[in-house]
Amino acid sequence: MKIPLTFVLNNQETTLMIDPGQTLLEVLRGQGGMTSVHRSCEEGECGACTVLLDDEPVNACLVLAASVQGASVMTSEGLVKDGTPHPLMKAFTDELGIQCGFCTPGMLMNAYALIRKAGDTELTDAVIRKTLEGNLCRCTGYVNIVKSVKTAQKLKMAGEWW
Amino acid sequence: MSDTNGNRTTMTTRPGGSFIGSRAMPELVYHAPKTLPELMDLIKIHGPAARIVAGCTDVIPSIRTGRWRFDPGLHLVDITKINALNQIETHEDMLKIGAGVTLTRILTSPDVKGFCPVLARAVEQMASLQVRNTATMGGNLCMASPAADTAPPLLVSDATVILQDARGETTVPVADFFTGPGRSVMTPGQMMTHICIPKIKDQDSAAFLKIGTRTAVIISVVSAAVRIGMAGGVCESARIALGSVAPTPVRVTAAEQFLSGKPLDDQVVDACAGMAASAVSPITDLRASAGYRKDVAKTLVKRCLMACRKDLT
Amino acid sequence: MKKREERLILGKGEYADDLEFMNMGHLVFVGSPHAHARIVSIDTTRALALSGVITVITGKEVAAHTRHLPVQANFTSKGWTWRLAEVYAISSDKVRWYGEPVAAVVAETEAIARQAADLVTVEYDILPLAGDLRTALEPGAPKVYEDWEDNKQVHLVFDFGDPEQAFAMADQVLHVTNREGRVTGLPIEPRGCVGVYDRKNDSLEMWGSFQTPFLARHNIAATLGIPEAKVKINAVDIGGAFGLKIHAWKENVVALASKLTGRPVKWMEPHRDFVTTGPHQRDVFWEGKIAFKNDGTLLGLDATVYHDLGVESTNKGIAALSIFPACSSPTNMYKWVGMHVEGIGTVTNKSFYCAYRGYGKDKGIKFIESAINQVAKQLNMTPEAIRMKNFIQPDEFPYHQINNYVLDSGDYPAVLEKAMEMADLESVRERKKKLAAQGRYLGIGLITAIEPAGVAVPNCQMGGITEARVLITPDGSVEVHSDRTEIGQGTEISHATIVADILGMDPAQIHVKRVTSDFIGQGPLSSRGAVYPASAVAKAARLLREKVVKCASSVLKISPDQVVLENGFIYPADAPEQKISYARFAEKVFFFPGPRGLDPEMLKAHDHLLDVTTTWYSPTTPESGSSYTSFCVSADIAVVEVDIDTGVTQIVKYVHVHDAGTIINAQVVDGQIHGGIVQGIGEALYEGLNYDETGKLLNTSFSNYLIPTSVEAPDIEIAHLETPSPFSETGSKGMGEAPIIGSKAVILDAIEDALTPFGIRVNDAPATPEKVRAWIRKATGQDE
Repeated sequence: MKIPLTFVLNNQETTLMIDPGQTLLEVLRGQGGMTSVHRSCEEGECGACTVLLDDEPVNACLVLAASVQGASVMTSEGLVKDGTPHPLMKAFTDELGIQCGFCTPGMLMNAYALIRKAGDTELTDAVIRKTLEGNLCRCTGYVNIVKSVKTAQKLKMAGEWW
Repeated sequence: MSDTNGNRTTMTTRPGGSFIGSRAMPELVYHAPKTLPELMDLIKIHGPAARIVAGCTDVIPSIRTGRWRFDPGLHLVDITKINALNQIETHEDMLKIGAGVTLTRILTSPDVKGFCPVLARAVEQMASLQVRNTATMGGNLCMASPAADTAPPLLVSDATVILQDARGETTVPVADFFTGPGRSVMTPGQMMTHICIPKIKDQDSAAFLKIGTRTAVIISVVSAAVRIGMAGGVCESARIALGSVAPTPVRVTAAEQFLSGKPLDDQVVDACAGMAASAVSPITDLRASAGYRKDVAKTLVKRCLMACRKDLT
Repeated sequence: MKKREERLILGKGEYADDLEFMNMGHLVFVGSPHAHARIVSIDTTRALALSGVITVITGKEVAAHTRHLPVQANFTSKGWTWRLAEVYAISSDKVRWYGEPVAAVVAETEAIARQAADLVTVEYDILPLAGDLRTALEPGAPKVYEDWEDNKQVHLVFDFGDPEQAFAMADQVLHVTNREGRVTGLPIEPRGCVGVYDRKNDSLEMWGSFQTPFLARHNIAATLGIPEAKVKINAVDIGGAFGLKIHAWKENVVALASKLTGRPVKWMEPHRDFVTTGPHQRDVFWEGKIAFKNDGTLLGLDATVYHDLGVESTNKGIAALSIFPACSSPTNMYKWVGMHVEGIGTVTNKSFYCAYRGYGKDKGIKFIESAINQVAKQLNMTPEAIRMKNFIQPDEFPYHQINNYVLDSGDYPAVLEKAMEMADLESVRERKKKLAAQGRYLGIGLITAIEPAGVAVPNCQMGGITEARVLITPDGSVEVHSDRTEIGQGTEISHATIVADILGMDPAQIHVKRVTSDFIGQGPLSSRGAVYPASAVAKAARLLREKVVKCASSVLKISPDQVVLENGFIYPADAPEQKISYARFAEKVFFFPGPRGLDPEMLKAHDHLLDVTTTWYSPTTPESGSSYTSFCVSADIAVVEVDIDTGVTQIVKYVHVHDAGTIINAQVVDGQIHGGIVQGIGEALYEGLNYDETGKLLNTSFSNYLIPTSVEAPDIEIAHLETPSPFSETGSKGMGEAPIIGSKAVILDAIEDALTPFGIRVNDAPATPEKVRAWIRKATGQDE
């Protein structure tokens, strides 16, 4: 039996009809149409489906959709403003912190939360690497991803951010 | 298997028996009680059909792999919306952590750092940020994995857990909680509400170390926690616990007692670590052999003891 | 410039899992829980009874409606052992590995299909196992294919140069062995596709994660018995491939399901399926002798490499073929007198072998590099000294290697010297000594490698075919077509850059089209992207440029040598102010006034169409017989610290110097290097597929098949040299695989160096903490 789920999806209050057994990943990709949230392992091991749940990165595949009633969920689609890439996205493009692109949206969400929380503290390689440990990437060797996050933080400090 | 007499072994798959890469989520009814009484009512009404969940970081993979199968009519009872189970409180010299508190909150809580820093150190090395943001303290203990990284720190901290059922509350030392892999003293209808940890004494020091087959996001091959209290240059109190080396996380009391009244010199440290390792009988599995586990258990205990010693001098 | 990257980052990627069609069914495979068993019966009634189930396909339907999977490489004619088996996409008689599909359920939703998959009941007679290479080769071992004499599928024998002479000249001969565990490339995205069978036209179109659409079309059409001309395969955005998405076999079942149900059918593989029933690689054991002189001169090799192929591997991929490069690549970048190398491939009850970054070249080079470091130790030479002594010198190119490779260009000593300088080798060695005094174990690894790239082999589907088309549309935008799919390796950036440079346009005006089977070619594999397709694209762009210049001279009424193409404009050299945009130019050529406005001679010569389709073939392969065209060069130096009490290895420093010829885009090249190195580190330290004694695969997920995370991956220092290849159209060399070759070898070498005080030989990958610890315990007598 379907139940209504009302939550804030990318800053917009949204109501979707869901099966109580559906994961947040299934609902976001399916009823929610947020196909940037990528599905791979479905067991919380790869991080490709990372989204922000009340501002904290979570694996959408390990969250029951029914449990986010009233909560706020953000996917990488939510970073885009009027079709303009977020400065974090710009940093990933400029530094080529992307190859096949499959892990990228999840990586972006984790990095976004990290940079926001870091405030004025300059992120070190070690902190970035530790934070991104749950986002597996098989293409980049992570080097340009770390660079992208650092560049993004500089953009934020320069006032380019939303 | 065809044996030499030509006998055949015929096997027929049952549901759950085939290799299927990822299984469907079952049909279920989802409940999110806001209070403990509401929760207890749901358990009463649905009985064995009710399954208590918190972060779901274990239940969903278990469903996907077919390790857990649910009959139709499953009621999932999510305890994470119950305020009373979501608090980290301090009562004088006691830290009281709600079973629904996430690992990230343990990691970032100043109270946990003040009362039981060794727990925070263990949690920091558990899973990934995404999982720590949803997985809970209670969940990690209730799953009763021999590799639960929160267990050794709790064991050395003399922590207790509060279990509740319709008849009321029971307090159980963590040391008595686990009964086997995936098994604990909890009975059907019972749930964990809190974990209580006495504040670490000023003259005590505690350490946690783990070894895995990779550095990050890894299930422990061996984990070790040690708490040492020194007085007058000798060991006054000692707690040593190991994970992944027995059917449950364990304390190695013989090694603890050995330290009593002794100075923590290299010889004592080495002998104690040796005793700890020889007290456990780990298994061989995909992650490591029994021999390696024993071998590394010794090293980890030794290093924990040395870390405590350094901290106390 | 980074149109694709911007699109993907904006969340606008269209990967296989994002494909949606009206009225689409979803397919889920049911796998065998037994590694080797006869299928007695399959009962699908309960599955079919579930509401929403459309059909269940078993081996019976597959046998009735399809042909066996086509053979993709066949060397039976050479007098070598090269056995083939008739294999169907779903077997109807017996299963040969854990997870092998026995049925496929199609349902209205994926969730229903998954539920129904669990309801398919199969009765099996369990058979004894050919569980690994050793037991499978024993006399009387259970046979994976009953009609074969034994489990040996491939046995190749090569004599390069004069091996007898090499050993006759030797002062010393060293016995060397090397083992690499079974691994998988494991992109984060598994395989997936949608098949749409059009019953009105009896045609099939598929979209999905196809690394090589042209080959996939051939194999799917052959299996389904449809004329190839009625099949079209489209590659969508691909979430990494590394060789693992070349083959098409489960895809045949998806196509069949669409044909049988008359509906679009989607299959998105669960990740555990990808590991369990997907392509595997490595799992080799080398044994041999290396011959050398006391002054460090290398002479010869006599070695055999044993491959555990898993089940028959000529029809699900082209992987038995990887035994060829494994056997021929040990020559690496040195001068030799002769080599005798044998390659043996054995079938076992494991998942099949297919391509993965390295494709055998990694095996041969890793083996020889490790052997050479043994020789250096034996002779008390440094690893750099023995290499400097044996390198082919910069003035010797093109160099005809004893195995027919025509090495194109490079400065091998310079690459190594640069790496030594960056790593500050001498001071690291000092530091190692200092730390040793403190009881710490630092190790320094040093490896040099070339990467044979741009493959063209006879008697298989990798013959060196490629097609490219570059055209200017009436609005002045440019389409670039080739067989080189974008799998994250920078096809779009590279091709756009090449074409923009040649046509004098802004890369933003260049549109690199998604690859379909409409374009002939074997796709990006064996690092051929920068060699074959890029050369074909460059060649097409140059031919197109000639046409543009002719048309422009007619349009601008100037002589051809006066035509300048620059920054998206066309103008006379002496009158830049008369510039016209490509858009304006194209409009003139196509429509207003159109061809009639051009010089009549041009029309007679059919030079008016701004569209060129062409091909490219290696200039060296036809005469030399070398399967490869370019040979990039790399040197890796790694510093590790080994915790001898736990066996844990930490990478302290990593330096990589690379010469891949002309660099088209440095960021892309660096990205390939970073990624390849970290994959190699995974192989060296963590990754291993383990089967238990019943033939069950134990590590089927990211939680126990461990790839490096951001924490284990080191920072990597890179430097480039650029010695253009004389043999490719752009001067570039294929380089995608070199980093994995060097890195997995250098990490193991560094561990061995760290463990020198124990006299341990590190020749068994992965060097997991437990293994390292066991070696130390054994060496120090702790196991007594």
